[in-house]
Amino acid sequence: MPMQITPDLQENIKNFEELFSDCEDIKKRKIKVGKHLKSACYVAYIEVTVSSVDWKDSAVGKLLGTLRTMPEEELAAYVRDNVFDISDSKPFETIEDAAQGMLTGDALFFLDGYNKALKIPDKGYPGRGVYETESEKVIRGSNEGFSESIKLNTALIRKRLRSPHVKVKESFAGRRTNTNVDLVYLKDLIYPEILDEIERRLGEFEIDGTLDSGIIEQLTERRKYSPFPQFQTTQRPDRAAMAILEGRIVLLSDNSPVALILPTTYNTFIQTSDDYYSRWEIASFTRILRYVASFLAMVLPGLYLAMTNFHTQLLPTDLLLSLAASRQGVPFPAMVEVFIMEIAFELLREAGVRLPGANGNTIGIVGGLIIGQAAVDANIVSPIVVIVVALTALCSFAVPNEEFATAFRILKFMFIFLCGSLGFFGFLLGMLTVLMHLSHLESFGIPYLAPFVGADINGYQDERDTFLRLPLDFLKKRPMYTRGGARVRLKFGQEEKRDGEGKA
Amino acid sequence: MDIFGMSSLLLPGVFSAMTGADGILCLLLGMAGGALLLWLMGANIKHVNGDYYSYMKDMAGQVIADVFMVFYFLYFVTLSGYVLYELTTLTLSWMLPEGSFWGVGAVLLLLAVYGSVRGIEGRARVYEIIFWFLGIPLILMLLFAMPEVNSAHWTPVVASDGLQLLSGGAWTLVFQLPFSALLFLLPFCKKPEKMAACGRQALLGVTFLNAVIYLILLGAFGQNAMGVLKRPVLTLMGMVNLPGGFFTRQDVLMTAVWFFALFALLNTGIFQGGLILKELCHETKRNYSLYLVAVLAFFVGKGLFEHQFLSEIYEIYQFSIALPGMFFILLVLLLMRQVKIGAKPGKGGASDVEE
Repeated sequence: MPMQITPDLQENIKNFEELFSDCEDIKKRKIKVGKHLKSACYVAYIEVTVSSVDWKDSAVGKLLGTLRTMPEEELAAYVRDNVFDISDSKPFETIEDAAQGMLTGDALFFLDGYNKALKIPDKGYPGRGVYETESEKVIRGSNEGFSESIKLNTALIRKRLRSPHVKVKESFAGRRTNTNVDLVYLKDLIYPEILDEIERRLGEFEIDGTLDSGIIEQLTERRKYSPFPQFQTTQRPDRAAMAILEGRIVLLSDNSPVALILPTTYNTFIQTSDDYYSRWEIASFTRILRYVASFLAMVLPGLYLAMTNFHTQLLPTDLLLSLAASRQGVPFPAMVEVFIMEIAFELLREAGVRLPGANGNTIGIVGGLIIGQAAVDANIVSPIVVIVVALTALCSFAVPNEEFATAFRILKFMFIFLCGSLGFFGFLLGMLTVLMHLSHLESFGIPYLAPFVGADINGYQDERDTFLRLPLDFLKKRPMYTRGGARVRLKFGQEEKRDGEGKA
Repeated sequence: MDIFGMSSLLLPGVFSAMTGADGILCLLLGMAGGALLLWLMGANIKHVNGDYYSYMKDMAGQVIADVFMVFYFLYFVTLSGYVLYELTTLTLSWMLPEGSFWGVGAVLLLLAVYGSVRGIEGRARVYEIIFWFLGIPLILMLLFAMPEVNSAHWTPVVASDGLQLLSGGAWTLVFQLPFSALLFLLPFCKKPEKMAACGRQALLGVTFLNAVIYLILLGAFGQNAMGVLKRPVLTLMGMVNLPGGFFTRQDVLMTAVWFFALFALLNTGIFQGGLILKELCHETKRNYSLYLVAVLAFFVGKGLFEHQFLSEIYEIYQFSIALPGMFFILLVLLLMRQVKIGAKPGKGGASDVEE
């Protein structure tokens, strides 16, 4: 049963302090107000979220200053009538709602004789500002990255999309964390069914805490056992804005600098922001490189094993002899050798990520150069395997999205096993399995392999932005994520004129 | 893709032994037969409201419809078994000589069942992707094979007698019978009216590709040499020299084209067999039919692999039962429909109004 806020300040204070007993970080102050200081108010806030209660510059301070100049009998009426003059202030009718309001990082204000509590914003929780992103680096384009504050993140998107059609739908996730979750989209571009679907999925679970968007991602994706992510992640506001312009929905979660984009496809994971900022030739070239990299990151060690262990007739004799010579003295079978090196590389990668910046770089040098060279000299592994593993690693780094690249890193081990034991037949089996899996995978109703499949849905327009990123003049239509009838995104003056004449 | 794999792999060997350069004529004859089959299918499809089984029941009654369904079921099960045999043989000959039918066949069937359980949409998407990934290397390899071609091997033309040509045409037609799977795919189609047109396009495409491959193979090997090769197209892939010469032989890599194509047909067979059995047994949610078809296909494949005489029996079955049966059923259904329309003047359905 919620505790109603009454005009009796003492009762409100008692209820509130009962709720927040043993919370030393919550500052509670009873302050005298009114011309003759005969009335009282009560201010509560989380330490550090409010800069200075009594100081002139803060909203709370200004309110208190005003209340000290007014006759006691007019205080309640003044607050009631002028509550919305304070930006983002919000009245609450129950102690529980008021407490929740305070926990968002604002100050709470009770007044004797007034049966509501006011939430008054101040500086809020401490957080990082706008910093450069650590991942998704680009050569050309904005360097701003999302931060942990959801308000800041929505503002960074708004800054780029100054349209009233951009909507932000707010909800909360986590019974105990009460985390803000925002869905940002362009109302006239999205399929309403996709918005309904994500809202339905968000309502399907009840968890005690969502500390990062990753938890929401895992709880709302349909194919939980697939290694492939069904949401695209980004830390870049420009990437999120671009996705919204394509008719996709961006999900932001408070305390997480990672935004989720839905729906998503294989193709969108390969795209980067600067693909659209750079000239089309270089964008297409790097796009093809990334596609090849995503394939090789998965199959290169496996193919090496298949060719050297099973189908040596494929290779020229000189190369074959050179490979055999390089393996001389290595005590392990080739599959074990590749496996050991891959595991060693994954260990180095993990250690590099966990160690602080400068030490992380050292691990790379120690692992890659010193241990690698020592392992070759000690005949534990052959130089060719070091080359294969290093190339595979380079390929996985070239995939722009970390979660997506991880899928290939995991599948790489399946290919090592299949190709190491069945040769090229194993490779074909693996490819068939991966292709069958991907062909059944969908992200909010959009096939994962689109537009390589189902390209006819959008009149084969989406194929212009796949392996090749054709010149922007050719990309006049938005992709298939946009609802039908709202797909034109680029028009030239002459075309507009022609359209107008046609209509006339 | 379903049709291309088996026909391009086996037909050149059959033609070279039988008709030499006239294999092209056999392909054209087969295409004419295929066009007739597609026309009959189209003529029936446009009157199907719902699924093909219900249509058969409406036209011919429950018992005859069930007999026809059993016929189709047997066709697809034996087809799956035969394709499994071919696919396993291909794997064991070109990729994994130390493997066994049990291991390779079982793995392939498991994958086919996995693909079928996931539904037809995903299956179609797989082949949409594979088509491009394999089509481009195949065309490139065929282009690189052109220098090996000796056009003198393309003669003499029209040297075979009528019976040989008809026999070659019938062989071609046998490889086109899987087109009848389209009859059962109507409930899965967004635009069923386009199905016959798609079939015609596929028929033209496959015939063209087979003709090109056959001419290249005949030009490269000559009639006599090709006659002793069971899968000449794969042998050719092993002979082609790529510019730069990094890979000395491409046969293993190019096996992928036929591996995926044959797997597509295996998948179709299993899926169709399961679908038919499901309808016959009124199964709703479970996939027992699919598993049963897979098991049956495995034993058919194993039998063909172990005993040569079963391959000959399968050949006889294809020519004397499956081939005439496919045409017979479609003709009977059309005739029954005509009889029904004649018996009930003015009581045709919506499709009659369109006519």
